[in-house]
Amino acid sequence: MNISSPAIRKKSPGFGLGLRPVHYPDFLKEPQAVDWLEIISENYMVPGGKPLAMLDAILARYPVTMHGVSLSIGSTDGLDAHYLADLKALANHVQPLWISDHLCWTGVQGRNSHDLLPLPYSEEALRLVVRHVDQVQDMLGRRILLENVSSYLDYRSSEMREWEFLRQVAEQADCLLLLDVNNIHVSGINHGFDPIEFLDHLPVERVQQIHLAGHSDHGDYIVDTHDHPVAEPVWALYRHTCARFGSVATMIERDDRIPELPELIAELNRARAIAAETPETWTEAA
Amino acid sequence: MKALELSGLQTAFHDHLLSQAGAIAQEVIDDGRISVDHRLQVYHNAYRVRLLENLQDAYEKTWAYLGGEAFEASALAYIESHPPRHRTLRWHGAEFPQWLGNRFPDDPDIAELALIDWQLRQAFDGPDATPVAAPDLARLSVEEWASVGFGFVPTLFVTPLRFNSVDIWHALDQAHIPPAAEPLPQPAWLLIWRKGWQPHFRILQAAEHAALRQLQDGASFAQVCAGLAERFSDQEAARVAAESLRIWLQDEMISGLTGRPAR
Repeated sequence: MNISSPAIRKKSPGFGLGLRPVHYPDFLKEPQAVDWLEIISENYMVPGGKPLAMLDAILARYPVTMHGVSLSIGSTDGLDAHYLADLKALANHVQPLWISDHLCWTGVQGRNSHDLLPLPYSEEALRLVVRHVDQVQDMLGRRILLENVSSYLDYRSSEMREWEFLRQVAEQADCLLLLDVNNIHVSGINHGFDPIEFLDHLPVERVQQIHLAGHSDHGDYIVDTHDHPVAEPVWALYRHTCARFGSVATMIERDDRIPELPELIAELNRARAIAAETPETWTEAA
Repeated sequence: MKALELSGLQTAFHDHLLSQAGAIAQEVIDDGRISVDHRLQVYHNAYRVRLLENLQDAYEKTWAYLGGEAFEASALAYIESHPPRHRTLRWHGAEFPQWLGNRFPDDPDIAELALIDWQLRQAFDGPDATPVAAPDLARLSVEEWASVGFGFVPTLFVTPLRFNSVDIWHALDQAHIPPAAEPLPQPAWLLIWRKGWQPHFRILQAAEHAALRQLQDGASFAQVCAGLAERFSDQEAARVAAESLRIWLQDEMISGLTGRPAR
């Protein structure tokens, strides 16, 4: 697709949080120190009722991004036209800052795992993903963001490193990236690569958003569970990320053992502080 | 050995999620640090836990009624035989009540309670509708009253009840020990609907059930009143009709007027 825009990535809207239903009352009661909110798209692909009413109330107060988990951009089943139509309808309603999903596959042969399964980093998978991203961006009329997932295995059929695959997808499909710094750390431990090498190979101008999250440490491997505060090694990696990528919209993802909102805002303030004190090596395109 | 093409790899991976079938193991690199089986096990476990937690969430009272272990055994068996086919997890449990009915043929109260769980969830985020209010009816002319019928909100469900499932539900909701399942002495129906953002339910007696059903089948309110008059004295029929209508309006169950002659 050919989207003509001088600067590929948009100016950062600041620091956000993933919207979770338990925090609806906090966000609706009074303004919170959060610049924007990320919704899970599928949570609002329901016929009606409280979720959609809450969404409308949030939209009146905060800029919102849409983050999906079911696009399954890498499935050999091809794209799901019904899902894409629902996604587009939701996007028309929400008017999000941007729309993201994951660089993965979630199911095959009509079955859905509801998990973010890793792709082999092969030429075959690259061609498939690029074709699908092209179709999705044509349908939505905008660039999408794809997020690196955490993974626990490597395939024999991989022909390149994960960061090369991400870079190739972004450049060939002309899409943007959502960098999950926790996932880079998790996969780095699980596969024994250097996360700095990962970060340093990504195209700066295509990183539109950053996720920070917690994980569970199982000793010889770690699992991306989003049920803990952001871990110290991930904060250190975030510092490096800020230096390399400059001012990028950053948010905290928490999906389990969700704490009171002030605790998450305190974590977000730590991200603000790190970003503020990190000298940028890259400046925004005019 | 040649690596599988992407479609074969994905099929083999998904088969492993469902049943730990072995073909995918040959596609995964063994780095000698963490075994291939262990790496695959992370995905197999995550798949089952995610779907189990979704069923626990959708079938909260059924989970409490069966108890953790029995619910988990049932849910995992359901997960094995029902790989999700929808893009959103919301629909995965749709066949669980009926499936529980087959699994526990001697304890049909379990499936009945599960159906209540499911319909309450459907009412929660089902389609919106603007309820008809009393002033909307006050504007009807005498001629219109002769033919008017009512459409009900799309989040309204009527289900036959065979057991004291409502008492069981309330006990579980209060974290009390539920009463033993007992068949109801006479036929009853459970009415589930959403008022505002909140799902509600109550038991319907035969007369109100018959009236609702007639209206849902397209009868006019006048025809419903005539039906009640066959069942009760004129005075009692009028009282039942008026009281039912008052409650339906108050409970925001009516979403449209039908059958009015064109003005």
